[in-house]
Amino acid sequence: MQAVPIGLKRIAMSLGAALLAIGMGAESHAETVRIGAPLALSGALASSGTKQALAYEVWLEKVKAAGGIKVGDKMYDVELITYDYQTDGKKAAQLAEKLIVDDKVDFLTAPFGSGHTKITAGVAERYNVPIIAVASSEPVHDQGYTNLFGTLAPSGGLIDVMIAEFQKAIPGVKRVAVLGREDVFPNLMAKLMADKAPAAGLEVVYAGTYPIDAIDHSSSLAAIKAGAPDWIYVTGYSQDLILVRKQMADIGLEAPIVTMITGPVYREFIDALGPLAEGVTSATWWHWGTDYQSTDVFGSTKAFYDAIVAKTGGAEPDYVHASSAAALVALQMAIESAGSIDRDKVRAALRSMDAVTFYGPIKFRSDGMNSARAYPLIQIQGGAPVIVFPEAVKQADIKAFAGK
Amino acid sequence: MDVQTLLNGLVLGGLYACIAVGFSLVWGVLNIINMLHGSFIILGAYLAFFAHAAFGAHPFLSLPFIAAALFGLGYVIQRGVINRVVSSPVLITLVLTFGLDMILYNAMVLGFSATPRRLALDMGRIDILGATLPLDRIAAMALAVALTAMLFQVLRGSRIGRAIVAVRMDRDAAALMGVRVPQIYAITFGIGACMAGAAGSLMSVVFPFSPAMTGLFLGKAFIVCVIGGLGSVPGALVGGLALGLIESMAGALIGPQEAVLAGFVVMLALLIFKPTGLLGKAGYE
Repeated sequence: MQAVPIGLKRIAMSLGAALLAIGMGAESHAETVRIGAPLALSGALASSGTKQALAYEVWLEKVKAAGGIKVGDKMYDVELITYDYQTDGKKAAQLAEKLIVDDKVDFLTAPFGSGHTKITAGVAERYNVPIIAVASSEPVHDQGYTNLFGTLAPSGGLIDVMIAEFQKAIPGVKRVAVLGREDVFPNLMAKLMADKAPAAGLEVVYAGTYPIDAIDHSSSLAAIKAGAPDWIYVTGYSQDLILVRKQMADIGLEAPIVTMITGPVYREFIDALGPLAEGVTSATWWHWGTDYQSTDVFGSTKAFYDAIVAKTGGAEPDYVHASSAAALVALQMAIESAGSIDRDKVRAALRSMDAVTFYGPIKFRSDGMNSARAYPLIQIQGGAPVIVFPEAVKQADIKAFAGK
Repeated sequence: MDVQTLLNGLVLGGLYACIAVGFSLVWGVLNIINMLHGSFIILGAYLAFFAHAAFGAHPFLSLPFIAAALFGLGYVIQRGVINRVVSSPVLITLVLTFGLDMILYNAMVLGFSATPRRLALDMGRIDILGATLPLDRIAAMALAVALTAMLFQVLRGSRIGRAIVAVRMDRDAAALMGVRVPQIYAITFGIGACMAGAAGSLMSVVFPFSPAMTGLFLGKAFIVCVIGGLGSVPGALVGGLALGLIESMAGALIGPQEAVLAGFVVMLALLIFKPTGLLGKAGYE
C-alpha cells in the first residue's frame, strides 16, 4: 500500500526536475540566436549551395569575433544549424520543418534558387517563422508569404538594363533569340526577355525552352541559327550554359551579342570553356567591383571581398556569396534594431529596414524582394569577367561578341 | 528533315552508344543492372580531367590508362562485393550496386566538389554535306563503334570471351566444364567498367560534367539498352544511334521539350510490342 505514495512522490520529483531542466533549457536558449539553414551541399545545386555555406561561415566567424549579436543591452551567441538537403525539394521541406520543430530555431534562411526557396518559404509561413532567401525571383515572392524576405532585387530590372545598354553599345541589334531552361528562375528570365524585347524594337526570332535534364541542345541551336539573330540570349545554370556555349561552337553559331544568365558570373564557366567563354555577357545582382561602406560586421564591399578570398584561398566572391552573407547581415541588423529575438518584432524590423550594407542597399518591398537598384553588366574579356556597366564602376567598354 | 538534323542525331546517338555499351554487356551477360555505371563514366571523366591538369595529357592519350584503371576497379568490386550475392534475384544486386553507387557518388562530391568542369579543349569541327559537326562527337561515335567491335571480337574469338558466353548461357554447365565462374563474372564487370571509363574520358571534352550527371548517364544507358535489346553485342550501338536520331528528329519537329519524351515513348512501345528490343535475343528481355 505504501508503494503508491512513494511512486507518486518519485513522479512528482521527476516532473519537478524535468520542469526545472526545461526552464533552464529555455533560459540558456534565450541567450542564443538560433538560425536554421537547409543547404544544397550535394546534388545539382551543390556548387551554389557550398558557396552559400562558405559565406555563412565567414559571417559567423565575424559575428563570433565581435562577441555575438547585440540584443538590447546583451550580447547573444549565434548558433547556425545547417543540413544538407541534397538538392531534393521534398527533403528541403522536411528539413525546414525539422529545424523549426525539433531544433527550435528562431529564424530560417532559404536554400539557393527560386524553386527550393518557394518550398521552404511555404513551410516557414505555416509556422510563422521569418525566412530570408538568398536567391529568389518574382514567382516566389508573389505567393503572398508574409515571412519571406529576399536579398536579390527583381529580375525584370536585369533585362531592362541589358536591353538599353547593349542597344547603345552595339548599334543595329534588331533580332534576338531566347533559349531558357524550363525551371523557375531561368524560365522567368527567358520569358521576361521575350516579353520585353518587342517594346524595345527587337524582333524575337526564336523563343524556346529546354528540359531540366537536357544533355543536348543541337535542335534548339540549329533553329536559332536559322533565325540569324543579332543577340543570342540563354538562361540556365552553369552546367547547361557551358554545354550550350560548347554546342554553339560545334555548329559555328555566333552573333554580335551572346548573353548567358548567369553563367559568366561563375569562375567554373570560364574554366570549363576556356577561349569559348570570351565575349559572353551577363547581368548580375552584385559584383565585388562595387564599393559600399557600411556599419555591418563586414564594414565594406572590399572587406567582404578580402574575407572570402582569404577563406577560399584565392577564389573571388560572386553574387551567391554576397547575397548569402547579406541575408544573415539583414537578419542580424533586424534583430539588433528590434532589440529582441521575438519573431514578430524581428519581422517588423525587416519590413521597415532601409540600410546600406557591404552588399549594397537593402530595403524590402511589400512582397519581400529587395528593391531595384543599379545592376552591373559584365562581359568576359581576356579570360576574366569585367564590369561594363554602370559607369561608376565600369572596367571596360562592351565589345561585340562576333562581327556579322 | 534536313541533313544537319539527321547528322546531329547520328553523332548524338554515337555518344549514347558510347555511354551504354558497357552497361549493356553487364546487364546482358551477368544479369546485373549496374547502377554504378553512370558514376564509372563520371569517374573516367574526372580522371581524364586531372590527367590533363597534372600532366597535360590529351584525353585520347590518357584513355587507355583510364580504361585500364576502371577495369581494375570494376574487377575488384565484382570479385570482392557483388560476387557474394550474384546468384540472388536481380533486385538484390540492383540494391547492392545502388548502395555502392551512393558511396562512389558521394565520395566524388566530397573529393571533386559538385562544381561542373570540362576539359576546355577544342577539337574543331568539319563540314559534311552542308552540315557542321564537332569532331569530338564524331570521335565518340568512332569510339562506340570500336568498343563494340572489340567486344564482339573478344566474345567471339578469345577463350575468355567464350567462357563469358558460356557462363551466360548456363552457369552450372560452364562450371562443370572447368570455367571459373566468379573469375569470369569479375572480368565481365571489369570490362563493363573499362568501357565506362573509356567513354568518360571522352565525355570530359564533350560535356560539362559533375557528379550530379551520373543519374542522367545511367538513365540514357537504360533506355538505349531497352531500345537496342539485350544479349546482342551491337544492340547498344544500334539502340544508341536510334535514340539519338529519335531525339534529334523529335527536337526539330516538335521541340526540345518533347524530344526526351519521344525517347521514352519509343522505349515503352518497344516494351509492349517487342520486348526484346531492336536486336535483342529472346530470353534476355
